[in-house]
Amino acid sequence: MHETLPLVAASSPPNRFDRLGLAMRASHVLAAIFVACCLLFAFLAWRADDVFYLRLATEALIFAGLALSVDILLGYTGLLSLGQALYFGLGAYTSAVVLRAGFSFAGTLMIVFVFSIIVSLVGGVIVNRVRGVYFALITFGMAQVVAKIVYNTRELGASDGLIGVPIVSIGFGFMTTSSASPVGFFLFTLVFIMLIYLVLAYLLNTPFGRVLIALKANERRVPFLGYRPFSARLAAYVVAGVTAALAGALYPMLRGFVSPELLSFTTSGNAVITVVTGGAGTVIGALYGSLLLTALRSFVGSWTAHHLIVIGLMFMAVVVLFPKGLVGFVRMRLQRFLERGQ
Amino acid sequence: MFDYLQFVLAPQMVIGLSLGIAVVLVALGLTIIFGLLDVINMSHGEFYAVGAYLALSLGALGLNFWLLLVLVPALMIPIGFAVERGLIQRVFNSPDRHVSTLLLTFGLGIVLEDLLSLIYGPNTQRPPTPISGAVEIFGILLPTYRLFLIVIGLLIVVAVSLVVYRTRLGAMVRAAAYDRNMAASLGVPVKTVFAGAFAFGIALAGLAGVLLAPVYSVFPTMGRDFILLAFTVVIVGGMGSIIGAVVAGLGLTQIQAISSLYISPVWSDPIVFGILVVVLMLRPQGLFGKLGRA
Repeated sequence: MHETLPLVAASSPPNRFDRLGLAMRASHVLAAIFVACCLLFAFLAWRADDVFYLRLATEALIFAGLALSVDILLGYTGLLSLGQALYFGLGAYTSAVVLRAGFSFAGTLMIVFVFSIIVSLVGGVIVNRVRGVYFALITFGMAQVVAKIVYNTRELGASDGLIGVPIVSIGFGFMTTSSASPVGFFLFTLVFIMLIYLVLAYLLNTPFGRVLIALKANERRVPFLGYRPFSARLAAYVVAGVTAALAGALYPMLRGFVSPELLSFTTSGNAVITVVTGGAGTVIGALYGSLLLTALRSFVGSWTAHHLIVIGLMFMAVVVLFPKGLVGFVRMRLQRFLERGQ
Repeated sequence: MFDYLQFVLAPQMVIGLSLGIAVVLVALGLTIIFGLLDVINMSHGEFYAVGAYLALSLGALGLNFWLLLVLVPALMIPIGFAVERGLIQRVFNSPDRHVSTLLLTFGLGIVLEDLLSLIYGPNTQRPPTPISGAVEIFGILLPTYRLFLIVIGLLIVVAVSLVVYRTRLGAMVRAAAYDRNMAASLGVPVKTVFAGAFAFGIALAGLAGVLLAPVYSVFPTMGRDFILLAFTVVIVGGMGSIIGAVVAGLGLTQIQAISSLYISPVWSDPIVFGILVVVLMLRPQGLFGKLGRA
């Protein structure tokens, strides 16, 4: 809160990047490593004819998208959302309904995109009336209301969810893949999530992103600098909502069904755990965090049903010992290295 | 008309009242911890479950229920003290105390819940009801234990507010909540008061666990069902307000009980959470003021 962050870039002309720009570059280096590891994994899994781990990794990437959306709010704007599953579930349910109605892949994403903008604008106006701990609670309450309504609505499958989402083919003009192909859909999800990462990283590095950081550092000063906190917070909330919804839209394509579980507090809580473990405010930390937690859940889960003890203890250790998260810890060192190279 | 009141509305309201008292008991510790430490204790529901399981284990050893009512909270106090000193104090002075303590207790809740299912297994258990039989009030048959619950719940609320508002200890607690630096310079051992208040809140959760186990059964995730309602009560009543917790706890459960006569009970949860959102929008500080401010 009392960190003095340079809000205006290029205070000294010879340096091409200020501290925040450098931090973002360090994130990009880590992102490149992330993509390389994912490609290597995809190649190995494809050679080994694996389906299970590819599907698991695809799911991890989809939930990484949800974690990214939490990071925009927590890491940048300083708002803890305990109900981001609302938008993830919104995307997943919309996508399932639209796909079942026979829409194409591109049409589905378009509809999810537009619908999530509308809903998150309405939601943003509601939740942005409050700050701090009340923000966490109102997002939590709102997600609970929606989750219970979906749970009670027979048209949306009630407690069973919606099953029988058809396989979609995803075409880019020059090549086509299908949601049923493990490698193809994994690679597509990787591209999709990395595109979201790049768009977010770009957005957060613009003056808009700096206003968000300023809001986190000291909200009262922001109006004196000529910015409207309400608009900036609303914009951040909408960007986060759309991010979560787009990631959620891929879920029914991967699994073929959606369930109210996607809207539950567990989903929101897991996203928060992912971001905090990975490193809030690092953007790329959300992706590493999601892979790490999925891997932990799967490997610890293979020899005991009580993997939550391990994850919970690790999470508590991160909160106490590495407040910047695991990637945040690495990134700080990487940033210093880049600084020297400049 | 009168028959409707007697046979439809009144039983619903009395059942709602016993649920309301149960929720108030859980919410009381939550609101005290928030009012004093500014900590949202996400693991409160799990401490409630720990209390219920402790009662189950000790009861299986042959200990009397009345003894458990004293023994379990007494056992919870050192646990709460240790959690506050060993965990919460570590992030208490970080710049974003609300978020980091919320995350820490959230993690603790996950660990505790899984630990309970590791030790006791995932199945539902039900301790015997300590008081059997039923009594008739206004022509309604009510299990005696539920009546006992209502009475002892009210007694606990009164006792807690007497301690907080009428004793020297309570004055120290309120002073520390109002201005910790000033209280410290006047000789209030603020750190001990904080740890003590946290332990007290945890002990109340444990006590609620002992009292409610015979009614609502014992299972590892039992805290989750209750804590959502308890959180709503604490927010609507005003975080840190004892009277607010009581009014909101009884009021919300009455709304649930009466509304379920007219619309399907599956909608009672959305109604309650809807009230939560509306209250947060219009009056985020809740209906009543914070501990130490009033």
